[in-house]
Amino acid sequence: MKILLTRPGLSFSFIIAISLIFGCVFAKPKMYSSFPVTEKSYNGSKKDSTSYTGQMARHVLHNSLKKLAGKGNGKPNSALKAKMLSYYSGKDAGREIIDPTSKGDFKIKQTMVDQISKGKNLKGKTYKGIINGFPGQMTGPEVFEFMIDKASSSNKGFDPLTGYNYPQLISKFMMGAVFYSQAVDNYLDEKMGADNKPNNKPYKKGAHYTGKEHSWDEAFGYFGAPAHAMALSAKQAYGIAKKKDMKVADANGDGMIDLYTEMTYAHAYYAADSDKAGTKYMHTIVGAFIKGRQLITEANGAALTDQQRAQLMGYVKTIKSNWAQVIAEAAFKYAGSCYKDLEKLRTIVESNGDASKAFAAYGKHWGELKGFLMALETSGRDLGEAGVRMNRLVGFGPVLLGGGQVTGIDSNGNLQTGGNRSMGEYQVHMIKLQKLLGDTFSLKARKNDVTSNMAGLLETLGSSLAAEND
Amino acid sequence: MQLSIGEWLPAFFNPQKRIFWGYMLSSIFIAFLWLRLVKKTNLISCVKQIFDPQVWISRSAMADYKVMMINTVLMVILSPRLLAKATVAYLVFDSMHLLFDGRPFLSTILPQWMIALSFTMFLFLLDDFARYWLHRWLHKVPILWSFHKVHHSATVLNPFTVFRTHPIEGVLFSIRSALVQGFTTAVFFFFFGDKVTLLMVLGASVFTFTFNFLGSNLRHSPVSIQYWRNLERIVMSPAQHQIHHSNAKEHIDKNFGVALSVWDWMFGTLSLSKADEKLRFGLSEEQSYKLHTLEGLYITPLKQATEIFLRFVSRIPHFQFFKNT
Repeated sequence: MKILLTRPGLSFSFIIAISLIFGCVFAKPKMYSSFPVTEKSYNGSKKDSTSYTGQMARHVLHNSLKKLAGKGNGKPNSALKAKMLSYYSGKDAGREIIDPTSKGDFKIKQTMVDQISKGKNLKGKTYKGIINGFPGQMTGPEVFEFMIDKASSSNKGFDPLTGYNYPQLISKFMMGAVFYSQAVDNYLDEKMGADNKPNNKPYKKGAHYTGKEHSWDEAFGYFGAPAHAMALSAKQAYGIAKKKDMKVADANGDGMIDLYTEMTYAHAYYAADSDKAGTKYMHTIVGAFIKGRQLITEANGAALTDQQRAQLMGYVKTIKSNWAQVIAEAAFKYAGSCYKDLEKLRTIVESNGDASKAFAAYGKHWGELKGFLMALETSGRDLGEAGVRMNRLVGFGPVLLGGGQVTGIDSNGNLQTGGNRSMGEYQVHMIKLQKLLGDTFSLKARKNDVTSNMAGLLETLGSSLAAEND
Repeated sequence: MQLSIGEWLPAFFNPQKRIFWGYMLSSIFIAFLWLRLVKKTNLISCVKQIFDPQVWISRSAMADYKVMMINTVLMVILSPRLLAKATVAYLVFDSMHLLFDGRPFLSTILPQWMIALSFTMFLFLLDDFARYWLHRWLHKVPILWSFHKVHHSATVLNPFTVFRTHPIEGVLFSIRSALVQGFTTAVFFFFFGDKVTLLMVLGASVFTFTFNFLGSNLRHSPVSIQYWRNLERIVMSPAQHQIHHSNAKEHIDKNFGVALSVWDWMFGTLSLSKADEKLRFGLSEEQSYKLHTLEGLYITPLKQATEIFLRFVSRIPHFQFFKNT
């Protein structure tokens, strides 16, 4: 201590070192919120330019629609269909939030969709291109309307004749065809152009945010992460979607979960799921979103320079590649689940047991797999040969116990099944699909990897490189 | 590509390799015990025999070292283009699903230690069996013999003679290894899943370790250790492998086996060792060969193989024009 007092230079260094240490340890992780208003034409009283309520309303619409898709009683149900369509294509007021709702001490602030944002729907934002992975050569909205129709007349969303699990198909495909597609093929694509939604003009007349600020916010909203995601571990972010851990979810400490800023949805949830296995998708994506938003904010309402835009596009690249990986990781995981399900089914069938439960689980996992793969088609990035191979390996439906598979849709709109593919062959397809996804998207979490232990075993055998004689 | 000592030095520290320092030491120790206790050689003579400069720095030995270093670099370049064991494993694993229409799990039938032991033993046996046959073909098929001659051109045997191998032969060994390892791993993994493990000592298969620890390096050495006659029908003694290198007429095409001689016994190529038999190593005199030169070790085999190939092709009726050109 004495030495510090007698040598001012040293004590100054000491203070800086201590401040740095404390700064690192106690620094508050950045949140995606409270970005100041920089739009010069705005004269109102708002101080925060951050706004992505429409996106969060759509997350809630999606969650609710998924719940509704599992409500059928096995008979045509026009009331249910109409209700599902009101969540998909309607804009009507008075739609209640069916999911997420309060559970125990996990109290949710909003109960109506309009409390988050008014007049929103999902159809208007659905990818309009043809979906090759689904039978019928339909556009994105047509696929959803077809599935909604089938789901409403199914028994709890499951059709045992085709193996289709509609809540899963609808949900996983929607995350892609609406959220992912809108973010990576619209807001982070053309809206990042120099002349499209420029930063020196409001997003729309009278708005308190600039064109670039709001475009960026909308893309962030679609990812589905809570605003305080950087302060959360993968397990915590994942737990929030499962309505666990009220303490970490309630970032503002008001005793309630705000569905606008404090909930984990859609791909953010799947990023967290992968990250539990050691990847860093959620923090990489949210981190890039925050840095990009800071960059736009620092432009202070002026048009972005070429250099700023180039830097911003660097963040865009990170977001797009990691986001695609999140979806591919999920597809990889469910390909592994389907493989295991087929194993289980074989054992049950051989022992003449009741396979209905295992078959339903297989259909559920297949629906997730298929939905995620169809989602990958909606990014605006042509997957080329890899995309074609993925669709061929999976086909239009899970291979059924009798060897059939969905082959198409007839003129009456009914799904047709046919063919005779063995379950063993379909297992090989799942292995090949995992390899294809792993190679195409450079996957790291690789959950449910069918052959990982075989690869590890091969490694223990050592190299056969050297030219050694006997 | 950096050509450095670091490329081949790791073999001295890798217990999966025969020239691992531990195996070298154990071989010296076994040679010493054999010479002292069985052959009743005096101490000085023991040391002289083991560290005989003729063995370690002869022209033949120097050629061994050169080939070892050149091949290491060549194999690093070639390796990405060779058949990978993973490729074989995936192919076999996929095919097994079609063969059995699914994946019948047998992992509950056997305890884990038995699965591990079965895997390790099966791998060792199949590998040794495949080595026997490839080695036999290297001798019997003329075009292959033109490459394998490189190994047999050693006139003095020392542990590094194991590396005296033409790179084409190295490629064949690599394919054999990929097929055996890929096939075995895939079949066991298919039936037993995550329960399959390799029984290891110091990171090497317990059988590889045992074979090497018990003096595999003495196969290529002048120390002629024999086993009991009945044991030599099952396990290859150093003396038996030295017979394989002998250029005496009665020893030609004998003892192709590596760790086990049982294959030779089964397929009629076994020769048991005789006490104090004087052997001359190298190629028989009528086989012209530029011994120990890089040209002789690398180029001549390619020339000879080409000649054999052209002779073979010219015998096919449609390719008669070869004779006229």
